[in-house]
Amino acid sequence: MRRYLTLLGLQLRTSGLLAAQYRWDFLVDGVVSLFFMATAIVPLFVVYGDGSRAGIPGWSFGEALVVTGWFILLQGVLDGAVNPGLQAVIEHIRKGTLDFVLLKPADAQFLVSTSKFHVWRVTSVVAGLVVFAVAFDRIGHGPRLVDVAASGVLLVSATLLLYSLWILIVSAAFFVVKVDNLTYLFSSIFDAARWPSSVFPKVVRWVFTFVLPLTLMTTFPAEAMLGRLAPQALLGALVGTAVFAAVARVVWLRAIGHYTSAGG
Amino acid sequence: MIEVRNLTKHYRVHKRPPGLAAAVKSLFKREYTTVKAVDGITFAIKPGERVGFLGPNGAGKTTTLKTLAGLLHPSSGEVRVDGHVPQKREAEYLKKIMLVMGQKQQLLWDLPPAETFELNRAIYDVPRPDFVRRMKELSELLELGDLVNKPTRQLSLGERMKCELAAALVHGPKVLFLDEPTIGLDVSMQVVMRDFIRRYNETTGATLILTSHYMDDVAALCPRVIVIDKGTLSFDGALDVLVKQVRPDKRVTLRFSQPVTLEQVTPLGQVVRCEGAQAVLQVSHDQVNAVVGRALASLPVVDLNVENPPLEEVMSELFSRSRATREQAA
Repeated sequence: MRRYLTLLGLQLRTSGLLAAQYRWDFLVDGVVSLFFMATAIVPLFVVYGDGSRAGIPGWSFGEALVVTGWFILLQGVLDGAVNPGLQAVIEHIRKGTLDFVLLKPADAQFLVSTSKFHVWRVTSVVAGLVVFAVAFDRIGHGPRLVDVAASGVLLVSATLLLYSLWILIVSAAFFVVKVDNLTYLFSSIFDAARWPSSVFPKVVRWVFTFVLPLTLMTTFPAEAMLGRLAPQALLGALVGTAVFAAVARVVWLRAIGHYTSAGG
Repeated sequence: MIEVRNLTKHYRVHKRPPGLAAAVKSLFKREYTTVKAVDGITFAIKPGERVGFLGPNGAGKTTTLKTLAGLLHPSSGEVRVDGHVPQKREAEYLKKIMLVMGQKQQLLWDLPPAETFELNRAIYDVPRPDFVRRMKELSELLELGDLVNKPTRQLSLGERMKCELAAALVHGPKVLFLDEPTIGLDVSMQVVMRDFIRRYNETTGATLILTSHYMDDVAALCPRVIVIDKGTLSFDGALDVLVKQVRPDKRVTLRFSQPVTLEQVTPLGQVVRCEGAQAVLQVSHDQVNAVVGRALASLPVVDLNVENPPLEEVMSELFSRSRATREQAA
């Protein structure tokens, strides 16, 4: 465990060194985050108007903004910590350079997952926190400490869910040559997570809870932060995440067995 | 150290004739064919041996190497390296081996090689004092100097390859798998790499398997060669035995004090080349003394050299023979 923490530290350091090498990326990512924040918030203004419209049933403008804050924050986590390493795997498989990862005496899934971080994407996390501040200002009171703690637990669970979904997509790259379309598809579907799940019809809601658990990623943490998530739902989310992560691990291990490398 | 028995690696590949109709048809009904990349090879390698894998493109050399490294699972047969079954990819085993591929790189592209070395140190769990000592040795042997602190993308191919070797040796492996490590390098850099590899083998006693299309690599490094062709083993033994077996003739190069004609040289033996004041003859092994004596007596010879035919020619003949044998059998 200690060795893996050291390795994680080293990989983060390497990504940090790379980020320092391309320091203008900070500016670009900052602008992208601002733009992304704006595009995430504008639809809410369309739905809620100047406050005269009903908006989403059961969600005030401030409360819906909390969901958007989670969406922006998770997008930052996805782009900064999950995507870069796993996108690199697809390239590794195509070029056959995954050989070097598989030859290392450490868990291959760990090595590829932590191989690359897009450090400057931390700006999206900051943007998410800013949205939270605005949202709770609109609501009129701050979240309780216990609710923040519960949403923190759900943040870990949401990150693990996102990661597991990506592992499943990346595992497909061992069987089919191009998985780019799958990654675009996932990115498009993930866009739906900007809305509270109650905006969707019942069937879609069910799919987004049990099949592609977007609800668990943004709506649940938002509800936890607002202090209205039932403890059973929290527990269910954690168990569901554990099952998802286990399935992703099994699929990854099987996929590695199908690795055929590339010609020399 | 390495034992391979009846190793096979077969791939099932989709076969489709050219054309749109065939492409559409293949969407619904596919035909598959089995490619026998490795088809029942057996050999054993002792600790500290340097062995060259030879064979034309697609012969199965890299597949065998990758199977030994544990990257590919054999279709059948047994493989053991230092008591380990490679495909299990146990950490203990992976710490004993290294694989360098001339056409692929593990160095972090945008960062100096020193960062890759440090990362590998942590992955292989090499104690800091051992790491420092080994890097010092490698740096001296490979003359790395300040290269390790320049971003990899700024290094030349030769410099990068030296750093690749160093990165692969951070953990002091006992078995070295080298897949065309000198590909694309200039002649002087090839010599540097060969010297380093030989010295590493002599000082550490590491076992070494090398594949290369440069026959000079094989001649300089590998007293023993294993020839693989179309997935089967066609020769296993000393390099000079292989040469004698395929081309028992010697090459006699004669240099003269003045130009000679083809007619003057032809009576001595089979003429490979005759240009100006130099001629190259192909002479059977037992005739060398007689031919040299006749040449010295009848022509203005100022210098002569007797050697084996170039290894490239030997291999080319070997492969064309086996191709002919296969075609006959077919």
